[in-house]
Amino acid sequence: MTKQTFLHDKHVKLGARMVDFAGWHMPVQYTSIIEEHNTVRNNVGLFDVSHMGEVIVKGEDALPFLNKLVPQDLTKLVERKAIYCQMTNKSGGIIDDLIIYKIENEKYLIIFNASRIDEDLNWMVRNKNGFNVDVINESHNYSLLAVQGPKACDLMKSIGLEDLPPFFSIKRAELFNVNLWVSRTGYTGEDGVEILVRNEFSEMLWDKILEAGKDLGIKPIGLGARDTLRLEAALHLYGNDLDEDTTPVEAGLAWSVAKDKLDDYNGKEVIMEQLKTGGRKKLIGLKMLDKGIARHGYEVYDKDKKIGVITSGGISPVRGENIALAYIDNNPDYKLDSIIGVMIRDKIHNAQIIKKPFVNKRNKTEV
Amino acid sequence: MNESALCSKTHEYVLELQNNQYEVGITDYAIEQLGDIVFVELPEVGSVFEKNEVFATIESVKAASEVYMPISGKVIEINESIVDSPESLNDESVEDKWFIKIESEADQVEFADLLDYSDYKEEIE
Repeated sequence: MTKQTFLHDKHVKLGARMVDFAGWHMPVQYTSIIEEHNTVRNNVGLFDVSHMGEVIVKGEDALPFLNKLVPQDLTKLVERKAIYCQMTNKSGGIIDDLIIYKIENEKYLIIFNASRIDEDLNWMVRNKNGFNVDVINESHNYSLLAVQGPKACDLMKSIGLEDLPPFFSIKRAELFNVNLWVSRTGYTGEDGVEILVRNEFSEMLWDKILEAGKDLGIKPIGLGARDTLRLEAALHLYGNDLDEDTTPVEAGLAWSVAKDKLDDYNGKEVIMEQLKTGGRKKLIGLKMLDKGIARHGYEVYDKDKKIGVITSGGISPVRGENIALAYIDNNPDYKLDSIIGVMIRDKIHNAQIIKKPFVNKRNKTEV
Repeated sequence: MNESALCSKTHEYVLELQNNQYEVGITDYAIEQLGDIVFVELPEVGSVFEKNEVFATIESVKAASEVYMPISGKVIEINESIVDSPESLNDESVEDKWFIKIESEADQVEFADLLDYSDYKEEIE
């Protein structure tokens, strides 16, 4: 059965077009994807991302347990800070990408993708042997709201959050007499926060934020614009750009992988080797030179030789161009400015390799 | 859209202009369902299509869709304005949303599965 967030009725009343996404009945757009996209780039938008999974890991072995699951070094993570991670299998393939927050010693909060929560929990249970740790799925208790855009922080200040947590940090806060968690994170490439609140307060909070943001031009934003925003920011979408046959190095996430981590972790051998030699494939950014949109699954060619596949593609409202992410053979001949072909409806369309992200991220100003 | 047009179940419409000449496009319902339209590819003037053959492609932000000929015919004119500004299809103030004009020898049989606009409306609701 399709699940609904606690804000489902709000979306329907706002006239959203609802779709099934990862087993959830979610708003894909309220008015127009492009309009919603531009609202987040220019002003501020409010997202219901309550479908995402929230898991608490606690116990005396919480740190060594989590450190075994990801190529990042969690021994360096301090309290109330967050880190973007990938959970890897024994071959270095990505089971999910996630954000780990250190709430306090021996207690971590993890945000998983909705589409992967079952695999995530199974994998954690399979790796739990010998660790004194509790893995608690809290997904059904919490709603997650994202407030994103250049005016997001002004909005949060106006509703009483005077001291915003720094970039990639989380803090306990009280808003409208409700205790909740606010983190300076998001998946749009813009500044903003994500608010983790118990389900029973989510509707109140949704209404209050929309009301308070009126003068700033706030709009509710659907999953359609969430996708175009994250693509412009070249942020990966699990299932499109990441899967169990793709390593963090191949996915262009080597920057996030610890180079000097002492602890062993799943897939360490493969990943450390690939840090030296590169992977079997590499993730590149493309802009279309010919008219047409490259979409997930379309093949990529060098003349008549197939060299890869598009993983995400669409329009970039900010650039006014069509952009895409693709995996291609890890061949040094394919570099920035190279022209390659994308097969769209049986015809090769020229595309050029360009740097990622496709737009400048503006969320790191207050690190 | 012109309510005297006939509609297909795949959301194209055909409107008779004069003897053997027709205008072909997609229904207002199809446009609404597609959301933001960002790309339209039309055939060349002179192309000939069978009924139910793909003659155009539309890309919305979310997906690519193919557009089928509601009846057979030969393209005599294309609407360049929707190729140049695909977003005009989403603009309620714009009237000219037709895709192509065709010459057609289509007989009764080809029209048999097309619906009056009012029946079409009922069908989609």
